[in-house]
Amino acid sequence: MTETPKYQNRIELLQGTLDMLVLKALLREPMHGYAIAQLIRSRSSEVLTVETGSLYPALHRLERQKWVKSNWKLSESKQRAKYYQLTALGKKQLTADHNCWLQMVCAFGAVMEPEVQP
Amino acid sequence: MHWPWERAKENLSEELESHLEMAIAERVADGEDPAQARAAAVRELGNLPLIEDVTRERWGWLWLENCLHDTRYALRQLRRAPAFTATALLTLAFGIGANLGVFQLLYAVILAELPVPHPEEVVRIHAARSPFDQSWTVSYPAYQRLRASTPDVPLMASAYAQDATLELPNRTPIKAACTLVSDNYFGGLGIAPAVGRLFVQADERMGQSEWPVVLRYDFARNTFGSAQQAVGQHVLLNDRAVVVIGVAHQRFLGDRTGYAPDIWLPLALQSTGALAVPWDSLGPGHDVSLNKPWYNQPTIFWLVLMARIPPERRSAVLSHWDQAFRNDREVMTEATADPVVKAALLNVKTEVAPLSENGMRKRFTAPLTFLMALSASIFLVGCLNLANLQLARLHARAHELSVRMALGANRSRLIRQIVLEDALLVAAGSVCAFVLGRAASGILVRWASNRNALFTFDLHPSLAVAALGVGLMLLSLLCFSILPAVIFIRTGVAQTAGSRAKVAGISQTSRQRVHSNVLLCTQVSLSLLLSTMSGCFAATLVHWETVDVGMDREHVLIVRPELHQPRYTDHSEMLPELYSQIQERLQALPGVRSAAVEMCGGIHCGWITALYVHGRNNLTDAQVHGQEDHVGLGFFSTLGIPILRGRDFSSSDTDKTQRVAIISHAYARQLFGDADPVGQWVGYVPAPDDHKFLIVGEVADARVNGAEREAPPVVYMSINQNPAPVNSIRVRAVGDPRQLSDSVRHALYEVDPTLPISEIVPLVTELNGDLGTEKLLARLAGIYASLTLLLVAIGFYGVMSSRTARRKSEFGIRLALGATRRHIQMLIVGQTARILLAGILPGAILSVLAVRAAGHFLYGSVGVNSLAIIMASLVLVSTGSIAALIPARRAAFADPLETLRGE
Repeated sequence: MTETPKYQNRIELLQGTLDMLVLKALLREPMHGYAIAQLIRSRSSEVLTVETGSLYPALHRLERQKWVKSNWKLSESKQRAKYYQLTALGKKQLTADHNCWLQMVCAFGAVMEPEVQP
Repeated sequence: MHWPWERAKENLSEELESHLEMAIAERVADGEDPAQARAAAVRELGNLPLIEDVTRERWGWLWLENCLHDTRYALRQLRRAPAFTATALLTLAFGIGANLGVFQLLYAVILAELPVPHPEEVVRIHAARSPFDQSWTVSYPAYQRLRASTPDVPLMASAYAQDATLELPNRTPIKAACTLVSDNYFGGLGIAPAVGRLFVQADERMGQSEWPVVLRYDFARNTFGSAQQAVGQHVLLNDRAVVVIGVAHQRFLGDRTGYAPDIWLPLALQSTGALAVPWDSLGPGHDVSLNKPWYNQPTIFWLVLMARIPPERRSAVLSHWDQAFRNDREVMTEATADPVVKAALLNVKTEVAPLSENGMRKRFTAPLTFLMALSASIFLVGCLNLANLQLARLHARAHELSVRMALGANRSRLIRQIVLEDALLVAAGSVCAFVLGRAASGILVRWASNRNALFTFDLHPSLAVAALGVGLMLLSLLCFSILPAVIFIRTGVAQTAGSRAKVAGISQTSRQRVHSNVLLCTQVSLSLLLSTMSGCFAATLVHWETVDVGMDREHVLIVRPELHQPRYTDHSEMLPELYSQIQERLQALPGVRSAAVEMCGGIHCGWITALYVHGRNNLTDAQVHGQEDHVGLGFFSTLGIPILRGRDFSSSDTDKTQRVAIISHAYARQLFGDADPVGQWVGYVPAPDDHKFLIVGEVADARVNGAEREAPPVVYMSINQNPAPVNSIRVRAVGDPRQLSDSVRHALYEVDPTLPISEIVPLVTELNGDLGTEKLLARLAGIYASLTLLLVAIGFYGVMSSRTARRKSEFGIRLALGATRRHIQMLIVGQTARILLAGILPGAILSVLAVRAAGHFLYGSVGVNSLAIIMASLVLVSTGSIAALIPARRAAFADPLETLRGE
């Protein structure tokens, strides 16, 4: 018997941060999935690559939680694409996630490099 | 059909497609070769279907989609195997339906409580047994006294009357079962009216011009269209004006299990004489005037008592009533000359008895429990059969399943699909079963009922029945689907996976074979049990239908005239003349041997009496009590009852000559031992009036109370010496009595055109119509036996077919190597025979035990019962062999070249 590949686990690992990154990407304007992936990649100077296999499940999950909503539009290259847009609920979530993440960065910093802290 | 997710799925594909296109476009814009760009983009994207799957899971309703898929798949599978589907559906419908039908009846007869608040508080009051009938009845004055002594305890009285004729405007009159009840009957029980009102104290007034009546719900609906329409109707009941004041609650069918009155009337209606009410009294000579109202006669016992008393108050209330009833006990002692009985009567204490202790329950508990056990076995046979078919079917699908598993199908999903398929079957089968069960319980009630008194039970679906249905449903699902699927997936697929040769299955493992062989053996055992029981019950029925009843049961016709009309009752002195005219006219008919009139209208009719012998005052009650009947001239020769000593009544016995009596052999033994009764003097009461009748003859015993009951002691008096309306005219035919009906009716019309004839029925019909329990057992067991035989046949056929199909190549090789076709056939038939024998042995032991357990309702001899077992075995063996022979022939006559080429 073959096992189902553990894609899900990889998503689970990234889940918290991926959601935040996607929401952040959508903060300025509605975007389609490919553009979100590209944005995250370019902003992180190609360090963070979001895999398609994680991105779309995440987008659909966010949509189900009503943090983003979607509609079909034509892209700049005149191609039909599904655009995601941040909802009010999503903005709230982003703020919360961001704060949480900042706290965590501080905490991680304090643990890893205690001498830098005053 | 277009499901909402189909659209969502297309959207998702399009979204991912556009993602891919954008990625390619960007790479091309960066200067990559289009073909390379596409390849790289696709590589980067990854496994597209998997992404779709994982994304779809985020939607949260994938399980629903899967379920629908599985359902569709299951339906397709079922459609592809119509024979299996039909077998399974029918098996489940009959297996579960039979259990539900029998249980519904069992519940209604044995388990159901009265549909009133706190049914456990309602009890029957047993004050004293009436002197002759030994029924728990009291007089009206006694009832009033008891009720007055405990004003706060609802003490209800009722009396079952004979069926009355209800005349509706512009309709043919109908017969209705009537019960007289006290004014507090409904109130005391706590019955609510469905419409209108129930009895109140004012309804007990004497001499009303229009009597109030309450109807049973179903009766009101069937007669008047609806309960609402019934209320306020003015109708005639036995020529008395009555008005419907209300309809009782739908579920209330009276307080006696099985006998639901159609109409409830006030007790005071008895005073009008409109209804015939059974009664007992102190006997002749105790100042009993039956034609006057009974409400002030302390020596007519006719009321059955029932009360609502909380258990903790019972002893106090009962001692109160003992005080109040003391006087009545003393009155009752006058009915007997037996000092032991007198003393016992005075010492009897008033007791309570639960309503559930009734004749119905006593009569049906054992047969119904037994039937329930038989029903359970047929259910079991059905489940085993289906399990076996299911295993065979799974083996046939082994290749498909193993390939699917090899391709990565989820093991639990596979089991789920198989189980779902069967769950659908079970659900559909159960729906059929519920319908069948309801119909069956109605039919069973009809079978169990006597010929002219249909039992009425509350057959409303109850929680218990529903629970049983669901339980059986789940059990069948477990037996026939989940277990085989699990067994199969665990043992079968793992071993066969991958290898075509193995799947093609020369190697059905021995364990799998043992599984299905054990299942088949068990089926054979249970089916032998059911067939044997069916044989034994049939033998019992035949026994009672042919047992010597001491009368010519095949040739006698019972004619029931309606003589209870003022035209006849007011001129009873004219009746002997009418009887002799009737007899003469009927005997002149061709095909009639003789005719005679009789007070009794049929079986179960003679009333209890006492005969005291002149010159002997030491007789006990057990000796003096017997049954009495008044008969016309030629009665004994008409019924075929031989005269053992003395003479028959003659035309010289009139109301002006010495009163004479003829007693049956049993009564003669009871009173006189072996001495000659002829010439002895007897009377209804002890000395000095114990020489009223001269015994002139002794006749043989006859089972006048029905074929199953011992012949009672009977004294026959001459109807010409006690002129009264008779209830039947008996005609003995030379040939088939049924053919005489028309000519008899015509002849009676010629004698008296105004005399209505209510019924003409052969004695044999009357006697056989009384065998409700036996018929119920014989018919149901017969049906069960044929069903299991069919199941066993299907089982053998199914299993052997699938086995031979799997051994096709083996047989091909055997044939190619020189085995004969006969050899191949014998291989399969031999296997079948071994299974049959292995099943018959335990089955026979089981049958012997069951025959013992059912001993008290089996009347076939030991020989007949053993014959039943042997016959059942033979039938089973032949059924099983024939069922196996078909696939055996198919295997043997297949072309070996064909099969080997197929390899």
